Amino acid sequence: MKKMRLPRLITFFLASLLTAASAAEEIITVVSWGGVYEQAQRRAIFAPFTKATGISVKSITYTGGIDTIKDRAEAEKWDVIDMIEDQAISACDIGLLEPISANHVTSADKSMPLDDDFMPNAFRECSVAQNIYSTVYAYDDRVFLGEKPETIADFFDLEKFPGKRALLKDPDVILEWALIAIGVPVGQVYDLLSTDRGLRLAFSKLDSIRDSIVWWSDVGDPGELLDSGTVVMSSGYNGRFFSAMQEEKMPITIVWDGQVINYDVWSIANSSAKKDIAKKFLQFATMPAQMASMAEFIPYGPTRKSALSRIGLHEKSGVPMRDHLPNSTKNVDRALFGDSLWYARTKSLRNQRFENWLNETQKPETKTE
Amino acid sequence: MDVVTPSRLENTGNAVYRIVVVTACALLIGLTVSLAAIAFVELVLWFNNVLLVSARTRVQFENTRWIIMSATLIVPVLGGLIVGALIFYLSPEKRPIGPPDVIKGVQLAHAPATLKGGITSTAASIISLGSGASVGQYGPLVYLGAMIGNLLSKLNLRIPNFPAIAMSCGVAAVISTAFNAPIAGLVFAHEVILRHYSMQSFAPTTVAAATGYVVANVVFEREALFLVDFGGVQFGHEFLLFAVLGLFSSAIAILFMQLTLKSAKIAGQTSIHPILRPACAGLAVGIAAIWLPDVMGVGRETLRFATIEGAFFPTELAVLIIAKIVLTALCIGFGFAGGVFSPALLIGILFGALSWTLIDATGFIATSGIVSYAICGMMAVASAVIGAPLTTILIVFELTRNYDLTVAAMVAVVFSNLVTYRAFGRSLFDVQLANRGVDLSLGRDRARLSTLHVSKLVSTHFGRCAPSDSTEEIYRDNAQEFEYIFVVDENKQLAGIVNIREHAENHRGPIASIMRPAALVFEHDTPLPEAMRALQDFAGDFIPVIDHESKILTGVVTESAIIKAYLDAVDGLRNEENASA
Repeated sequence: MKKMRLPRLITFFLASLLTAASAAEEIITVVSWGGVYEQAQRRAIFAPFTKATGISVKSITYTGGIDTIKDRAEAEKWDVIDMIEDQAISACDIGLLEPISANHVTSADKSMPLDDDFMPNAFRECSVAQNIYSTVYAYDDRVFLGEKPETIADFFDLEKFPGKRALLKDPDVILEWALIAIGVPVGQVYDLLSTDRGLRLAFSKLDSIRDSIVWWSDVGDPGELLDSGTVVMSSGYNGRFFSAMQEEKMPITIVWDGQVINYDVWSIANSSAKKDIAKKFLQFATMPAQMASMAEFIPYGPTRKSALSRIGLHEKSGVPMRDHLPNSTKNVDRALFGDSLWYARTKSLRNQRFENWLNETQKPETKTE
Repeated sequence: MDVVTPSRLENTGNAVYRIVVVTACALLIGLTVSLAAIAFVELVLWFNNVLLVSARTRVQFENTRWIIMSATLIVPVLGGLIVGALIFYLSPEKRPIGPPDVIKGVQLAHAPATLKGGITSTAASIISLGSGASVGQYGPLVYLGAMIGNLLSKLNLRIPNFPAIAMSCGVAAVISTAFNAPIAGLVFAHEVILRHYSMQSFAPTTVAAATGYVVANVVFEREALFLVDFGGVQFGHEFLLFAVLGLFSSAIAILFMQLTLKSAKIAGQTSIHPILRPACAGLAVGIAAIWLPDVMGVGRETLRFATIEGAFFPTELAVLIIAKIVLTALCIGFGFAGGVFSPALLIGILFGALSWTLIDATGFIATSGIVSYAICGMMAVASAVIGAPLTTILIVFELTRNYDLTVAAMVAVVFSNLVTYRAFGRSLFDVQLANRGVDLSLGRDRARLSTLHVSKLVSTHFGRCAPSDSTEEIYRDNAQEFEYIFVVDENKQLAGIVNIREHAENHRGPIASIMRPAALVFEHDTPLPEAMRALQDFAGDFIPVIDHESKILTGVVTESAIIKAYLDAVDGLRNEENASA
């Protein structure tokens, strides 16, 4: 009995503390990605936070990117930002984010110390990992009735699986996939991509499908492109594909082979005037209960072990959510864990090579027109 | 009714004791060695990352080229200076320790090196590899395994041949851990180190190899050195190509080994101080790496690229092969601490890839892709360098779990070894050892016996006199005790021999008048087998032994002592090779 009550007591204690501290300021601005993802956050984190502390959450939607923070954070009074980890590292490097320490933005679960609880490298100088998401590709069930795509190599195989493919217009993930398709084991992908030779090989593999690529930029695009039949396969985030399948009943299938797993992190804008409240928000948002609740709405895996065991069924469709997480044992067989630090430090190089490659692509097109 | 006699009971008890103790030791060695090997590899990787040797960290400074440029030039030179100083000041041997020392130690039943020299050499090899010198990691690892095994063998456990067994256990565990290949580890210990097969050493090395595998694979879940997807050999005629590839690979292997030996010779003749020699090689590596970053270190990325079609242009492959051969020979000859196996793997895989590219370019011959040729080239060159055909075949099998690829590699390996054995020798290690006076080419028994000298059997209790001494007096004083008198001149050198019981009685005058020259003389370092051969045509009991340089008579040795020592040594070897447990 005593054990059952303890977490509640802590929550209550924490809540009353937070209420007391924030009596004067009643609103915090949280920046996130919109769509089903933000809806899930609203129900799993924002609303319970307001309920517990009396502080209301104003949410703003953005599409990521460091330049966006530069342009908007100060003007729009951003406090907390939901970010992709490598962007958080880059933003931290140039001073856009507030440095934070693990103890100030998270609270330990009674079952284990923080360091054991969180996944490796969850804490960076300016960010704390809140969930893991994965970039996968999905295909249109209506198109491939016989043999179905199963591997990353199949994504690049126009002979076996003809049709347009949608990809995010960004060098992230697609270069990794190109090397995996060539036969490079996932454990060596980043080592090889670190060499000029590796980049050259990746781009030459992309060349083989260049005329079949449709570029997307908004996280909602892949679902629409597949649904409308514009493309037969598309890269995208596993959570978005999941909700398209479960909620919109879209006839698509996720291919987990070669999925690229990354951290999604919380960070605090350096321009924020409410850093203390922001830290309390982070503390609340990273509690195991909130993380588990979040994963019941959308299959982005929690970054804490103590949250994993609390995850139940999807609240609408009733499917067990643990099977749909990127780190589920059946999905993780050939997963590539994104190296955020490497991502952040090599972004400009890869962007530059990517731009060059895109320009090469455009030349033959302008000729024919 | 069967009565158990006390001696049988004792034998069984001894056997049980030996089996339990040896197995426990093998477990302990396997565990310690594999942890040490993992630490070694991790440390090297850490240095590579911190010192901007690894591609993964270099690329992160791509925007500040000058940092990469200066690191490329400075790191190998600084590494070389540290290695040079470490070896010069701290190592009693004044050189890095490696597999030849382990082979020698096990074959001749002594420690491969001093502990201080061994630890210094291991540290020096971590720095060499960490700073990107073109050397391999498996040589130092093999020594590390043997060193740990040898440490344990210092315990007085009353087990015959224990030092050799313990060292082999260490070596088996290291290979098993480093390659994730326990069978290859076991075979390597027998093929290269022990060079004989007995249940007494087979059982513990197996235990150690399995332990290493469990630690590396199950406990730490370390990834294999490389994994390849290979569909299979599609055409029968390709096996002919593999055989030819093996023949050409042996030429590459011989060139590599000759250059390595030559480079060490040149280094010894230069006026460059030993401390500065590795730094010179480091400078060469740094300068080459500005254009060819692939030459630095172990070259994991390059190994992978070589199995991908289109990753290299043919000219690039040719340049890289030459650069890697020259730089590795330079690094090892000029005193960086490290092995030859990883560079040989790299040179071989590039050569295999080049061969496939050329075959494919002709357009006449159908092939099943670059992978099998790259792997065949890799193993054909590497196996010839270390003289371990079986081990390398098994490494392919255990790393790729691909039967077709293993058979393909087997064909290339066997032809490469055939030629290399004839034209060069069993391995680089054996030739290096032969240059140091330990010739294993005629078998381990000959090598072991050759280290036993007659000086161990010399007796200094013998009759001697000066040439001018009176025969009567000598007879009177010595005839009771000695049959032979050895006549020594004023330089203490042997002048002649007199059988005084037969020839001196009733003889007058100086003894010089009846002495005869010695029919057979040994020097104190005459090896036992040579002494045995000489005895064939010798009738007599005592053979004088003189000092090799001063020719001074130091003692005498009896024929029976030589025969007994020879038989004892042969018995010892036979017991070792036939020991059951």
